[in-house]
Amino acid sequence: MKERDQHNKNGLNRFRITPYLFIAPHVLIFIAFFLIPMIYGIYASFTKWDLFGSPNWVGASNYQTIFFNKESTFYRQFWNGLKNTVTFVLICVPFQISLPLIIAVLLDKRPKGRNIFQGIFYMPTLFSITSVTLTWLFVFNRTLGLFNHLFGTDINWYGEQPYAWMTIVIATVWWGIGGNLIIYVAALAGIDKTIIEAASLDGATGWKKFVNITLPQIQFPLTYTIVVSVIAQFNIYGQPLMITGGGPSESTHVLLMYIRNLAFGTGKSVAGMASAMSTVLGLIIGIVSVVQIMMIRKQEA
Amino acid sequence: MGKNREKSERIIAFALLTVLAVITLLPILWIIISSFKVESEVIQAGGFMFFPKTWTLENYAAILSFSNKQLPVYYWFMNSFIVSGIQTVLAVLVFSLSAYAYAKLHFKGRDFIFISMMFLSSFPAITNIIPMYKIMHNLHWLNHLVALIVPGLAGVYNIFLIRQFMLSIPDSLLESARIDGAGELYIYRHIMVPCCKPILIAVGLFTFTGSWNDFLWPSIAINNLDRLTLTAGLQLAKGVYGNKIAQMSTIATIAIIPMIILYLFTQNYFVKGINISSGVKG
Repeated sequence: MKERDQHNKNGLNRFRITPYLFIAPHVLIFIAFFLIPMIYGIYASFTKWDLFGSPNWVGASNYQTIFFNKESTFYRQFWNGLKNTVTFVLICVPFQISLPLIIAVLLDKRPKGRNIFQGIFYMPTLFSITSVTLTWLFVFNRTLGLFNHLFGTDINWYGEQPYAWMTIVIATVWWGIGGNLIIYVAALAGIDKTIIEAASLDGATGWKKFVNITLPQIQFPLTYTIVVSVIAQFNIYGQPLMITGGGPSESTHVLLMYIRNLAFGTGKSVAGMASAMSTVLGLIIGIVSVVQIMMIRKQEA
Repeated sequence: MGKNREKSERIIAFALLTVLAVITLLPILWIIISSFKVESEVIQAGGFMFFPKTWTLENYAAILSFSNKQLPVYYWFMNSFIVSGIQTVLAVLVFSLSAYAYAKLHFKGRDFIFISMMFLSSFPAITNIIPMYKIMHNLHWLNHLVALIVPGLAGVYNIFLIRQFMLSIPDSLLESARIDGAGELYIYRHIMVPCCKPILIAVGLFTFTGSWNDFLWPSIAINNLDRLTLTAGLQLAKGVYGNKIAQMSTIATIAIIPMIILYLFTQNYFVKGINISSGVKG
């Protein structure tokens, strides 16, 4: 009776299976290839598992090992990988935000060839990680490279610190300018220009105007890009793998590289341990994004 | 005075942008130019010359040749096109069908299902990769391209984007079609899809480039050299060609060119799509 009422309310008198058919393909794929792997991954982090046999429950022992067992290589790899990943995020993200913002401000002055410029800066974003790294690998090659020849230097770019990080960060920033740039260009175009003009009449100068008037107005896209960039950079893997191989002396060996080697490397797979590491990395990324989203909310309130 | 200032600002901006654009383009140009060099001439020149002495297409012939067993770039190319192409078509279809239901149809649990999936999908995918390998192993999908195509259809964010776009289409349009006796599939096909073209193209482009550039998962799921994608396969180039700059540049150029061509034709859709996804009106 109740059901019929509801159907009548919607002006329909047949059981509506159609909507479920529309969502069924995606929901099934979502369950099979996202939800189940996610739950299984968290479960596996509490087991000893060689990837092919069945996992044996070991409680929190994997977590104990990576967090506290100073004698274990897993402990050393986890903390070194985490340290390097966080280091990369901290160096890279400020450039990934500021450089596109500067370019967007310049484009906002409406110079000649504005669209062509924007097209040029966006293009590298479409290249694959491997072609980007192959490109920069040669630009920074010590003996054959463009950089050392143009500037007459003899820097061992990917074999010495801090140059190894610089190479990775430069390649990453070059690769990723485009996405944030387009967002900033649109955001700046949407600003009410009369407010800025009023501020100039009150004697506000360039930098002050930018910090006090322009930035607050693009606060939402700015925070959005920071969140997205931080999450993206926590997933760093391809650049150090291809450019430095994790060196020199594992100083650019990031967490995902260890996770991949432990689970799929040449030796016997320690997939349980690798799952514990990836669950922690996943949690960190989750917490960072929740904190950032809460900060936006607070600023808006 | 204000006009003069604006004009000089414009000129300074142009100058600075030109410098930055040259810096941005230089690596790509150098790599493309280097792909036409003769390796032995580079060595003779002491390892570096900006322009080739003799321009040659030899490198392309050697790398794209069918007999290149170490780096079957030709196969990788085809695999990349197959994987990205099929995934794009399926993604646009599956995502838009779902988005239509979440945006315009009424059914029990609609918002609960959608919001739960949005929430769950915000967990990073890293945790999934290890179990995904096991699942693919059990399905006997490892080493098959299907292992690269299907997981990409599990995303929720693109459904969200299409749904947002569909919400702006007035219900009255659909109601009048329903009164005329049109079924939901007809309405989806003949009203929603044409109306949502811009966002569907944007989602398609994001899917295509994302799939083309995916690196970690293909390098795990595929062991067979002939079945790799271009992005994952290029990882091996470093081991084969090492410091041979002409060959390495050729491989990098082959990987870059399709994306440049795609971009030249679809630039506006990319810009529009990114602006829709960041919630900024362009």
